[in-house]
Amino acid sequence: MNRLKATALNPSHAFSCFYVFAAMFAAALLLAAFSNIARAETIGCGDGLMGIDEAGTGTLMLRTSLPGRFLPAPRIATDVKVDISGNVARTRVTQRFTNPAEGWAEGIYVFPLPDTAAVDTLKMQIGDRFIEGDIKERKEARQIYETAKAEGKKVSLIEQQRPNVFTNSIANIGPHETVVVQIEYQEALRFDQGRFKLRVPLVVAPRYSPPATASLVSCESGGIGLNLSDRVPDREAFSAPVLRPETGKINPVTLAIHLEAGFPLGAIESSSHKIAVRRDGTENAAITLENGDVPADQDFALTYAPASGTMPSVSLLKERLGGADYLMALVVPPVGAAHAEQKPREAIFVLDNSGSMGGESIREAKAALLLALERLKTSDRFNVIRFDDTLTVLFPQAVGATAENIAYAKGFIASLEANGGTEMLPALRAALTDTTPQDTTHVRQVVFLTDGEVGNEEELFAAISSSLGRSRLFTVGIGSAPNAFFMSGAARAGRGTYTNIGDVNEVSARMAELFAKLEHPVMTDLAAVWPTGLDSEAWPNPLPDLYDGEPVVLTAKIPHAAGTLTLSGNLEAAPWTQSLDLADARPATGIARLWARNKIASLEDLRVRGGNADVIDKAVLEVALNAHLVSRVTSLVAVDVTATRPQGEMLTTQKLPLNLPAGWDFGKVFGEEVPLERRAGVTLPPALVGKMALGNAPSPVMVPEGTDLMLPQGGTASTLMLILGIISLIGAALLLRNRKEARA
Amino acid sequence: MRRPLALALALLGCLLVAKGLYIPAKAALAQVLLERAWVQAQAGATDVKPWPWADITPVAALLVPRLHERAIVLEGVSGQAMAFGPGHMTNTAAIGAPGTAVIAAHRDTTFRFLKNLAIGDLVTTITADGQETPFRVVSMSVARADASGLDPQAPGPTGARLALVTCYPFEGVLHSPLRYVVIAERERPARNLAAAL
Repeated sequence: MNRLKATALNPSHAFSCFYVFAAMFAAALLLAAFSNIARAETIGCGDGLMGIDEAGTGTLMLRTSLPGRFLPAPRIATDVKVDISGNVARTRVTQRFTNPAEGWAEGIYVFPLPDTAAVDTLKMQIGDRFIEGDIKERKEARQIYETAKAEGKKVSLIEQQRPNVFTNSIANIGPHETVVVQIEYQEALRFDQGRFKLRVPLVVAPRYSPPATASLVSCESGGIGLNLSDRVPDREAFSAPVLRPETGKINPVTLAIHLEAGFPLGAIESSSHKIAVRRDGTENAAITLENGDVPADQDFALTYAPASGTMPSVSLLKERLGGADYLMALVVPPVGAAHAEQKPREAIFVLDNSGSMGGESIREAKAALLLALERLKTSDRFNVIRFDDTLTVLFPQAVGATAENIAYAKGFIASLEANGGTEMLPALRAALTDTTPQDTTHVRQVVFLTDGEVGNEEELFAAISSSLGRSRLFTVGIGSAPNAFFMSGAARAGRGTYTNIGDVNEVSARMAELFAKLEHPVMTDLAAVWPTGLDSEAWPNPLPDLYDGEPVVLTAKIPHAAGTLTLSGNLEAAPWTQSLDLADARPATGIARLWARNKIASLEDLRVRGGNADVIDKAVLEVALNAHLVSRVTSLVAVDVTATRPQGEMLTTQKLPLNLPAGWDFGKVFGEEVPLERRAGVTLPPALVGKMALGNAPSPVMVPEGTDLMLPQGGTASTLMLILGIISLIGAALLLRNRKEARA
Repeated sequence: MRRPLALALALLGCLLVAKGLYIPAKAALAQVLLERAWVQAQAGATDVKPWPWADITPVAALLVPRLHERAIVLEGVSGQAMAFGPGHMTNTAAIGAPGTAVIAAHRDTTFRFLKNLAIGDLVTTITADGQETPFRVVSMSVARADASGLDPQAPGPTGARLALVTCYPFEGVLHSPLRYVVIAERERPARNLAAAL
């Protein structure tokens, strides 16, 4: 029948048929590719949806993909308890999830922890039973979670999305039921400028992730697919719906801190919240929030200082575990010994004026930058760079700090407004472009003022370490909830240090600390010499340079804590050494985990700088499993033994919404009712955008408003044709081969 | 049934591959011919055409010394002109004249090098009248095609501005609403520079 038809066609007819066929084939391929995407992005709709008028009062409603249909969101309350002993803090975060709906719910809560936190414990409380979580390889933990979820068992999974962003997924919360999840972590507190600093992050601020790129590719099966080449492949994992400010604040937090300093306490202060301090003797104190609970919309910051002159310059702690001693040393180098005159500086100031900096943050940043400009000496040189998704470099190259140039720069800074996306890479590259790399008369310092709300941290770290040269990078974290992982990671890659400014009133004090670091010589070539004959393993490795007021902090694993540890460094050509007798170490708990956490951080730094990813993944996995720590490759999972959700009942999944961080301007970050194609984090061809279902979570706006010139299309179809052509040829080859096989 | 289908597919594949290879080859060849005609025109020859049936007007040469890149810019951004080389948008300032001149080209042919431009790079234009203008790259950004913020009247701080535009993302295959925009400002004459610092 087919054969008959084919022979009946005359040649010209056959030729036109070929074109029709070719067009249809291409169309089919494209449709197949696009409909797959559309399917993948379509949000499933189950039971449990309701109209807005059906909801009771005080229920937070989430929009769904069905217009006019809503779902009551699971609610969460958080309690934070911190026990501080010396410079080690143990924190227990209790998250209480309540399902206000009639159906069964799965809640996904994106929450922050300090970027140095070693998360080791997960407990799930159901009624009066506690279920302890196990540490598993990430994929395996996810598998256990999915299985338990399908079987109707209660299960909680803690996954690390960034070293400072985690998600807690809880499946099978019954109608009107409450599930309590406890997470515990250990951290070594930062000591700087004579004070210890505790930071409890309470909200993950919306992040800007550079858009992904979409391209057509051929699949192994011979079909065609869309390749989303994404620099932030996990953008979905750490984004959550953000509440409009007029909705009111949710997620209440209570907080209590028990402090055993081990030295007489001086001032105890919080720059972020009003606190009540109850002192117990000279060395201990209990700290709570003055107003009971607060909404989770800004980080909690606490500092405590030793009473003047009582701070020992050395602290040495040890923990014996599994046949080895784990040590943590904190050594404050003597100040003032070698305060030599520093060389003149070439200061490059970079200001982030993207939308996330809108409101309070941009005022802080501008104030800080103006202070920094006034601080320049006439022998210094400077330049100013501002960026959002565009970039301006004020002077073609660094200029002398004359009154005229500074006045010009001040005028420029005053005119800036916060808007647009956070394309940080071009700004970093511009700042690190050194036109005079051989210059030894000036010290080149890049001061980077930002909230760090980006999702492509690792890409940025890699760019910093590869193009650093003689420059040093100092990050200044701005706002109520800056991304500490970016701030400290960028400073580490840039061999500088970081400063946080949480409030407008703090600008001058914090900037004064930064100026001390910028203007005083830096301690370089730090090295630790361990007792000979003992197999020691110390992290971080190598030790970072020390700026004014910073201590050496290192952790080590050693068979026996005995012998002498010698630290040495150079302070502007003046050598410094200090010896510690390891037998003096005081016993403490949790040091082994801090050591493991430091080792993981150093390994991850290596990976970012281009180390062998497979080898590093294996090493991180081994350390994390041994120390029971959550990491990029390991997760904690806790499963109830009995199933509670009856078979046949639907389970609906909700991402829990987050507050907009305090001081943020909603309109600047998300725009007012922007159309979908402008919100989408992924840049897709227009044909695709129309097919995508509307999601709940608005992503940051990435494109400036306003229309002027219509720029022409700047790409040809040649690559697309090549791809389609090659696919066709492969298809033909497959068909012919199949035919031969059929004959044989 | 299988065999004709396979042959049809093979033929379609060959045609598409040929066309896919032809487009960049044509652009490369056109640039060689354009450059030859340009050099002859600069040397004083009149009425030189890069090829006998050419219906396009070269307006400037564009040079990037650091990257060893050069291209002959054509007037207009019609699909036809852009198949051969970068096009100067007719509704923007003339190249090197006060205002912003916008030059656009394909990311996969003549403006493939745009992603390698860095801040501080020198970009020189030579217009048909022999006028040579140095520009310095000051910024690059990604913008929607209809919201680039480019204003043809804006002269920039030094009086003349060049905007080099291509499709973004660079490795993309499909049409994209985004453009990569490199802004270069005319280099100040040396004495002005000294005064400005």
